[in-house]
Amino acid sequence: MAWKFDNPLFSLSDEEQNDKARKLWEAEGLGGITEDNNRLPRPVVWLLGLTIISAFLMTFPLWGQRPQAAIYAEYVAAMDSPRVQAAQAAGGDQAAMAEIVRIVREGQSKYEALQVRHPLSMNELRLVKDQIIELQNSRVDLEEYTIVGYKVLLANFEGNWKADGTRERKQPWWDKGYTIDIFYVTYFCLAVMIAVKRLPNYRWQPVHHGH
Amino acid sequence: MAFREYKVGARLFGIALGGSMMITLYMPSLDIVQVSSTEMGLRKGLMYGRVGGFSVEDPFLHGDNKPLTVVLRNDPKTGAPIDETYAYVYDAGVPFTSSIRHPRIMGKGVEDLSLDKGKIGQANQAQGAVFVVTEGRWNGEPIHYIENATATHGWTPDMVLKAVSDKDTQHVGSGKIMFVREGCWWCHTLLPEQTQDWQSFGAPPRLGDFNSESPTAFGSDRKAPDLLHVGSRNSSREWMMMHFFNPRLVQPHSIMPRYDYLWGEKDASGNVINYNQWRADYSDFASGKRIYPPEVPEPASKSDARYLIDFVLSLK
Amino acid sequence: MFKYLFAKTEDIPRGSSAVYFGISSIVWFVIGTGLGSFNAAKLAFPDFVTGSELFSFGHMRQVHVMAVIFGWISMAFAMAMMYITPALGNTKLWSEKLGVWNCFVWNAGLSIALTCLWSGMSSGREYSDFPWFIDLIILFGVIVPLGINVWMTVIKRRTQGIYTTNWFFASAVFMLFIVLFVGNLPEYFQLTGLTEAYLTWWFAHNVLGLWITPVAAAIAYYTVPKITGNPLYSHRIGHLHFWSVVVFYSTPAAHHLMSSPLPEWLKSFASVEGVLILVPAIAFVSNLLLTMTGKWRFFVDNVEIKFTITGVLMAIPLNMQGGFQQTRAINWYIHGTGWIVAHAHLALLGFSTFLEAAAVYYGLQTIMRRKLYSLALANFHFWFLLIGFTIYWISMTIAGLIQGAGKIYEVPYIDVVIAEHPYMIARWVGGTMVFTGNLVWLYNMWMTAREGTVIPAGRLPHEIAYER
Repeated sequence: MAWKFDNPLFSLSDEEQNDKARKLWEAEGLGGITEDNNRLPRPVVWLLGLTIISAFLMTFPLWGQRPQAAIYAEYVAAMDSPRVQAAQAAGGDQAAMAEIVRIVREGQSKYEALQVRHPLSMNELRLVKDQIIELQNSRVDLEEYTIVGYKVLLANFEGNWKADGTRERKQPWWDKGYTIDIFYVTYFCLAVMIAVKRLPNYRWQPVHHGH
Repeated sequence: MAFREYKVGARLFGIALGGSMMITLYMPSLDIVQVSSTEMGLRKGLMYGRVGGFSVEDPFLHGDNKPLTVVLRNDPKTGAPIDETYAYVYDAGVPFTSSIRHPRIMGKGVEDLSLDKGKIGQANQAQGAVFVVTEGRWNGEPIHYIENATATHGWTPDMVLKAVSDKDTQHVGSGKIMFVREGCWWCHTLLPEQTQDWQSFGAPPRLGDFNSESPTAFGSDRKAPDLLHVGSRNSSREWMMMHFFNPRLVQPHSIMPRYDYLWGEKDASGNVINYNQWRADYSDFASGKRIYPPEVPEPASKSDARYLIDFVLSLK
Repeated sequence: MFKYLFAKTEDIPRGSSAVYFGISSIVWFVIGTGLGSFNAAKLAFPDFVTGSELFSFGHMRQVHVMAVIFGWISMAFAMAMMYITPALGNTKLWSEKLGVWNCFVWNAGLSIALTCLWSGMSSGREYSDFPWFIDLIILFGVIVPLGINVWMTVIKRRTQGIYTTNWFFASAVFMLFIVLFVGNLPEYFQLTGLTEAYLTWWFAHNVLGLWITPVAAAIAYYTVPKITGNPLYSHRIGHLHFWSVVVFYSTPAAHHLMSSPLPEWLKSFASVEGVLILVPAIAFVSNLLLTMTGKWRFFVDNVEIKFTITGVLMAIPLNMQGGFQQTRAINWYIHGTGWIVAHAHLALLGFSTFLEAAAVYYGLQTIMRRKLYSLALANFHFWFLLIGFTIYWISMTIAGLIQGAGKIYEVPYIDVVIAEHPYMIARWVGGTMVFTGNLVWLYNMWMTAREGTVIPAGRLPHEIAYER
């Protein structure tokens, strides 16, 4: 079975080679076990494709994180607005918090989903307020900070390298891990396709030596 | 009989397995070696000594040949009061922790400072040494490094041990051995998860928190609270003592085993512990025949129980 | 056995080493599951046996794991290799004497190793708990001789090609050597920190992925065609399975540490690769189920096929769990909970054990030329294993979901412990059923050796009718 460089995926063996292979395979007794050589059933091929796609899709969603400081920055900004203070005076903490949420919703926040997932009370917001403002003043990326109870802490994700040589402190949506994966999977598929194509022709069915 | 040699297959196999190991072992190691040890990483390494599990110097995991952690309030040489300092005492012959033996694992900066200013290169295992962790600056950034106090301050292990009381001596290194030997880590993880449970169990560790610690004993199957920061949540020696002796004394629903056997034969005051009596009394208490549970004996200062309690309380 | 250690090679009956390995593996299975049942009792009733460190949970948990992995599973593998490799090579085992010695050293070494572990001499690293000197004994005293025997038998075969099962056998012993050596580097060379943690899980992942999973699958590639008489459906799918095991199973080690501060790129990589372990699983399951075409009555009639196909079917939930539970989207919820314990038992007690049990049943009958003593007892064994395991798996999965909820809603831990208690009792019941089933199996196999119907030359065990 010679290698055909010009056409590696197709018709790798000619008739003569198939004939030789057939004789070869027929001659061997594998203790009553002989391989048939059916091709991959089409549903299995689809299933494999689906697996490869879902492998990437499943790895992307970055759920389950603790709330980032960034999602509350807008809450903090809205805290001292007259509307909130009016609500505070009228209905106390709960009304004020509801008012804050309403203001933030009006402003089309990109963190809306996270804000819904991580509601917090007025008291909790008061505890983190100063820390968030301080972080804003020091011009750091608030997405790299997580809220733990009354503390705002740097998350410990060891993400991509930043230009200044430090690590991004958030889960990346894309990093070199995915890039390696793409190459890795591609090489695998190519290698297996070539290997499988190089096997004797699938139409040829070995007889099962009377077992 | 002639047979196919599977040359292509064998080579492909080599490439596949080699490629996989290249990506999963070599490439991450490039990232991991760049990590600089944090203060916690330095302290843990110094506290635990060379190995936290089986080792030649302690084959039966009795907690022998491990460093001691002491709290100093006075300079042991001059007697002058100093700020409360944790010193890590390696008696003569006690194997040094990996960061002393291979300073490069502490990472850039920490390694330089520890060698230049900390003089850890002068530490001699056969004579023993005392180490402290000091804050310094490297490239304008504050970082911590290891200081060989035997070289810089002239503190010898004997001198330090004489200067501190039993109360200020913690057998943390031996306690880590107990933690591994008794399988505490089968239920208590040492890894608050990155995304969840910071609230109850504290912040998860950072990359540089373990340089020089082995085994890390993260645990995988949590059946009990995480212990990475347990010393900050609960620093009561009394509570730990009762909890280890019989967890049901302090937490009626606990499924933790009793570790009363770690007390050994005698308690702190040298009295023989009568386990049968204690168990009988406890049964009476559990069945309502006694109002108070029997008293838990104080562990002797060289007992496994003492080591383990010291270790658990050191997890800040 | 001892008389053959120093006998001339010609005087050792063919297949002796396989018989010794087979019986040893069953004995270790009984020991391992007995310990498991005892441990489970301690989790359900913490004051069950107290006052001695030898019977404390922390000393026995790893003995259970290691007895099952290195005693039961790996010895059953060795047993399968000792008789399947030569059968497929149309030859005899390269060295029967080496095989007998291998079995002897393995049993002796494992007894010493577990004694050390039980007494507390542990490296403190999950799945590589053995101290390093024992790792070296296992590596050079157990795995290398096994590998030499398998490789030499494959090289000295009298067939042109190598059948799928033998690719797996030969490559798996080689990969196990690499994995044991590299995975224990932290102990030999005192590696520390995240390197140590990562290598611990690199080992744990690969010892399952490159040893237990492929060898168990390889056994099914033998038993199903052999007993049903159908040829393997497709050699091509076998190729797909083999190469995807090497490529995809060897890479996702970091997904065991998704909640640790490892570099995120490594986790992303491992997570994608982790889902791709479904590729070998799909190949394996589809190949085997298609091989069964037209012969499904064996699933009911024949106890070996019943075991094998149950194991193959369990590979489906196993890999669906295994593939997806490690992605970031799911891992945050179930990491470190009983869910994972259930998953590990699905892999080792479900999938792999059922496949190996079939090989041991079939192999012992074939080599000893004795028909199984009692089909009723074998069915009893099957159902006790299956029901016991199912109880275990369901209870631990539920317990894991409770723990997961407790984790993310940050419920005080003691409430989780209280909520889990009924499931801990169910787990103990399930584990005890498995143990009981295995005791019956040991008896059944012992009686087979002594009183089973003799199988005439040229016939296979499943072709003979039962007399009882």
